[in-house]
Amino acid sequence: MGYGIDANKKFQKELNSGTAALVLLSLLARAEEPMYGYQIAKRLESESGKLPMMKQGALYPVLRSMENSGLLASHVDPSISGPPRRYYHITAAGRDTLKSWKAIWDRTKTFVQVFLGGDHD
Amino acid sequence: MGYIEDYLNQLRTELKGCDPALLQDALFDAEDHLRAALATAQAETSEFSELEAFHKVVERYGSPVETASAYREIEARISSFWPPESRLSSRFPAGRFFGIFGEPRAWGAFLYMLFAGLTGGVYGLWALIGGAAAMLCSIFIFGIPVAGLFLFSIRGIALLEGRLVQALLGVRMPWRPIFIQREIGWGSKIKLLFTEMQTWKALIYTLLQLPLGLAYSLFIALAMALSLSFMAAPLLELVFKLPLELFGTDAFTPVWLLPVVSLGGIFMLPMILHAVRRIGKLHGRYAKTMLVKR
Repeated sequence: MGYGIDANKKFQKELNSGTAALVLLSLLARAEEPMYGYQIAKRLESESGKLPMMKQGALYPVLRSMENSGLLASHVDPSISGPPRRYYHITAAGRDTLKSWKAIWDRTKTFVQVFLGGDHD
Repeated sequence: MGYIEDYLNQLRTELKGCDPALLQDALFDAEDHLRAALATAQAETSEFSELEAFHKVVERYGSPVETASAYREIEARISSFWPPESRLSSRFPAGRFFGIFGEPRAWGAFLYMLFAGLTGGVYGLWALIGGAAAMLCSIFIFGIPVAGLFLFSIRGIALLEGRLVQALLGVRMPWRPIFIQREIGWGSKIKLLFTEMQTWKALIYTLLQLPLGLAYSLFIALAMALSLSFMAAPLLELVFKLPLELFGTDAFTPVWLLPVVSLGGIFMLPMILHAVRRIGKLHGRYAKTMLVKR
């Protein structure tokens, strides 16, 4: 049984490694203002109805790597009263990438669905 | 707060041996998230003890082991994205020699060194003038806050330089704000500035950037001038009748030697880039020791 759970976890993790960036990118594309990590995690949780797709801690390295590749930009707000926070927002390059990623995602979804026997038309 | 500290310590242990900049990112992210989440969890449900609330928070954030593995995976993916010195792996010596033109890090280091005279000059002068002013003020009652402000600006410069080094020299540098503990007053912050080793290392770095930056820029300017004038020697001497000026003496090159001189200039370019890449690598390592907190 243990092997099954591990294999499931691994499969979920592999799927997440690609989809997390897509989800974060589209979430930030819709956001009206820059968001910080905890806010993003909360928004994901509330909008997905608490579907436990991935640990919140795993979102942060994805955010950082997306910033490194120029899809997101960020600034640290050094407030005096509260803790300073890193706020992320999507860049123009990020919006372009999101468009092509969405197309790729749609193709992938259709392709997978064909073999899963879903009633595609 | 004890639980968060414990978590961070475990995370630090899990990430042992990783790039210090990655460790700093992971600790910064975790601390910010856990604090915010714990505060929300406690505000939402008062029937939980702090420990119970913390367990709930960690359940969703991930254990130190899980978090560490998430950072390691992303880091591994990023480094495999930009294999270091990818284009210099040619089997042929000539390929390796001229391949430097396609090496982004060499060009990054070239830009870094070209502008180091300017940036180093600004850093160094600020450190000298600001430092002298702060020392002068220290005989007055307002001396300590002024000195604190000066040291704060030095730490700011160190952060800025870190971004520059990361972008141009390809060395991972920290993204961490200067004050890690946030709930402390300005008095304690100033004290921290004075007592943290990091501040003094940053000050030494900014001071040394003045001569070092000038030397870098001078090297680039001289080497490029030499290479370009060698390359253009036939044009300069035969068409414009301009002699080659070397170390203060004018000399016309014998015509048969001109192609050789020109070829020499062409060969100098990749040599300069190779040297620059090496210097850039060394400087990156040095900047990391001086500017990243271990």
